[in-house]
Amino acid sequence: MLRIRCRFSKKDDMVYVSHLDLVKFFGRAMRRANVPIAYSQGFNPHPIMSFATALGIGVASDAEYMDIQLDREIEAELFVKTVNDTLPKGLRILACKYIDKSEKSLMSIVARSVYAIEIELEKIMSKENIEKEIDGFLKQDEIIYRKERKKKNKGKRYKKIIEVDIRQSMCNIEVLSIAGKKVIIKMILAAGSENNLKPEVVITKLNEMTGVSIVEDSAKVARLELLKKHEKQYVSLMDVAK
Amino acid sequence: MQKEKIDDLLCRVEKPGQYLGSEINSVHKVVNDDTIRYCACFPDIYEIGMSHLGTQILYHLINTIENVFCERVFAPASDLEKLMREKKIALFALESRHALNNFDFLGFTLQYELSYTNILNMLDLAGVPIYSKDRSEKDPLVIVGGPCAYNCEPIADFVDIVILGEAEEIIVEVLETYKNHKKSGYSKQKFLEKIASFKGVYIPCLYEVDYFSNGKIEKVYSINEHAPSLVNKRIIADLENAFYPDKLIVPYVNIVHNRVMLEIFRGCSRGCRFCQAGMVYRPVREKSVDKLCELAGKLLASTGYEEISLSSLSSSDYSSLQELVSKLIENHEEDRVGISLPSLRLDNITFEIIKEIQKVRKTGLTFAPEAGSQRLRDVINKGITEEALIDAVRKAFELGWSTVKLYFMIGLPTESIEDVEAIRDLGFKVAAEYRKVDKEKRGKGLKVTLSVSTFIPKPFTPFQWEAQDDMNTTVEKQQLLKHLINHRSITYNYHDVKTSFLEGVFARGDRRLAKVIELAVKKGCKFDGWREHFDFEKWMSAFDECQIDPLFYMRQREYDEALPWDHIDIGVTKEFLRRENEKAKKEQITPDCREICSTCGIAAKYKGGDC
Ligand code: SF4
Repeated sequence: MLRIRCRFSKKDDMVYVSHLDLVKFFGRAMRRANVPIAYSQGFNPHPIMSFATALGIGVASDAEYMDIQLDREIEAELFVKTVNDTLPKGLRILACKYIDKSEKSLMSIVARSVYAIEIELEKIMSKENIEKEIDGFLKQDEIIYRKERKKKNKGKRYKKIIEVDIRQSMCNIEVLSIAGKKVIIKMILAAGSENNLKPEVVITKLNEMTGVSIVEDSAKVARLELLKKHEKQYVSLMDVAK
Repeated sequence: MQKEKIDDLLCRVEKPGQYLGSEINSVHKVVNDDTIRYCACFPDIYEIGMSHLGTQILYHLINTIENVFCERVFAPASDLEKLMREKKIALFALESRHALNNFDFLGFTLQYELSYTNILNMLDLAGVPIYSKDRSEKDPLVIVGGPCAYNCEPIADFVDIVILGEAEEIIVEVLETYKNHKKSGYSKQKFLEKIASFKGVYIPCLYEVDYFSNGKIEKVYSINEHAPSLVNKRIIADLENAFYPDKLIVPYVNIVHNRVMLEIFRGCSRGCRFCQAGMVYRPVREKSVDKLCELAGKLLASTGYEEISLSSLSSSDYSSLQELVSKLIENHEEDRVGISLPSLRLDNITFEIIKEIQKVRKTGLTFAPEAGSQRLRDVINKGITEEALIDAVRKAFELGWSTVKLYFMIGLPTESIEDVEAIRDLGFKVAAEYRKVDKEKRGKGLKVTLSVSTFIPKPFTPFQWEAQDDMNTTVEKQQLLKHLINHRSITYNYHDVKTSFLEGVFARGDRRLAKVIELAVKKGCKFDGWREHFDFEKWMSAFDECQIDPLFYMRQREYDEALPWDHIDIGVTKEFLRRENEKAKKEQITPDCREICSTCGIAAKYKGGDC
């Protein structure tokens, strides 16, 4: 069994392609590129691929990951080139690496996601003042986010509000740059199947709980990196022995 | 030229992936002053329009012409339309995001009558005047084609050019002529006059209609020396070598037919008397197995699709179906390509083919007896006996199928209550047949679907003179069946009566209906084929305000009454249609014309058919 791990970017117009559609898309891209991808058994065979996380619609990323299973080995460089030749603008395989079959699945190892978020302020603020506000925000012991959950019970749909403390899911927030009312903020947030925090939620809370007022719907989110925990450090998902 | 800025909108609508225009195999050309710009417009949402093979063929064909750039647009879903109107963003072509009023041609596909309001709504959203007479030399020319073009009189006033029949050759001729006209001082009138004589082109504004005081048509006539009194349809004589794309656009979002679509033949020789497609697409022309295998290989390679579907009016009538299916399986089995035969009618299928397909994928099986009783099946010339049908169903059950779908119609000419009840009887017999099959052999969980639509008399069919059932009668028959079909394993579904009513009015409508459509759009009607959008009350008030009685269009016509489409010639003669209608009344069948020619007239006029 051959497994290949890829890092790819998803930007420009491709941010509007949903995760499910992207999965289908890659299956077909591999067929166009003649990559010897492995298929599942059964009546409706599907290509064996798995992804790290599902990226929300509208979010750009330089750090998406997928593992693909191949029937036969092809040179890694050739793989990148032939696949990239069939991809539209906005999708690019950035790197790939064969990994051992014992390697844990992407989904199970993701722990942190690094984001850059551009926001527009209601009124101009200095960098120091924004930083002060963020400091105060992060000093809270608890930050409660009220989340709406759609539920179904005996065929009836209803909404349930649940409260979650998101403070522990925020690892770091800093101001990267500022130009007039436009501010770029970097965040490191918990990611993965156990604990996942969306940057939009943090923006909402910042707006609500601090003196930084943000224009509604102005946030543009880009993922910079996905990390896993290795010993005491957080490292790239590409960091695998082989 | 400015691109419409839609990024902010895309974040706020559902399935934004459908509006990107950059799908695999989409075409992007550099636009300069000489570029002739054509937009293939589909008056329904993306996922329906992108499933339409004809649009994909035309798109790639037009893009092979030098200096002509063909793009696409679909009716935006309601959420996007609302935002566009709010932000004053004009309807734009997907590829360039340029507003449609910059285009030379807006080419609408007329797939079904109930999309007429969407055409007007799209023109309005593009800022293009809806009436042909109100469009200036600078506005785009509105060109239409597709099955409803054969009688597009209800929308004739909105349209500049109608393409009758198969477009592959004529559209190129029209575009080349336009190119030359543009070089030497363009005038809309002169251009339309020039192409009016081309075989397959109909220019509605060069014809006029006179009416009797009782509302019936006196005559339709040409008012311009360049416009022939009888307009002929166009067909492709050499289908084998006609243009067929070696790539298809692969949508980002899931659509109805997300697979390679391969057209195996055109036309149908069965001669069912209710079927418009069977008459207007004559004669039958097939592509060779070799050609189809070659195309299939190229299309699968360029799209990456995992499924191929063989498209035609009735796959089982393709003369070498078994050979084709075996070869396709042989060539692509290793790549796990599935094959589907969407219009596979079990009426005459050989079970060898079913076994072949079963190896790859189990597709649903459909039967189309269309009528419940033998008497009525003879009337409509559906040459299939109950015995043959039950035999086929039993074989299917023995091969492990347990889901079958049967198509019927109610409201057919001469139909009695016994004929309606016979639909139930046939459904029950099918279900009973399942029980007779060995438990080991048959599949689990029998599911029989009886899908019952409402008969709508269509132009250019032997039944074009017949009356359409009024709504009360239809509802009574639908309810009767609903009452009769109470069976655990049988699902019964039927069509919305109001939708069929409106479709019937437009199918045999005339030019006076234009103002009703215009008014209905003003009242907010659109997506009339979609239950959640259809608003019958608005339509009725539009008819009322225009003082037009829709029932006028549902009535029976005499043979000597002038029909709104009498100036259109499809090759099949009116005399033949009339003869067939008379035979229908006598319950006489006409054999498949590959057995004996029934002299429909097409062979005398058109070359290339397998007649
Ligand atoms: S000319 Fe004869 S064989 Fe040809 S389509 Fe007509 S009826 Fe059929």
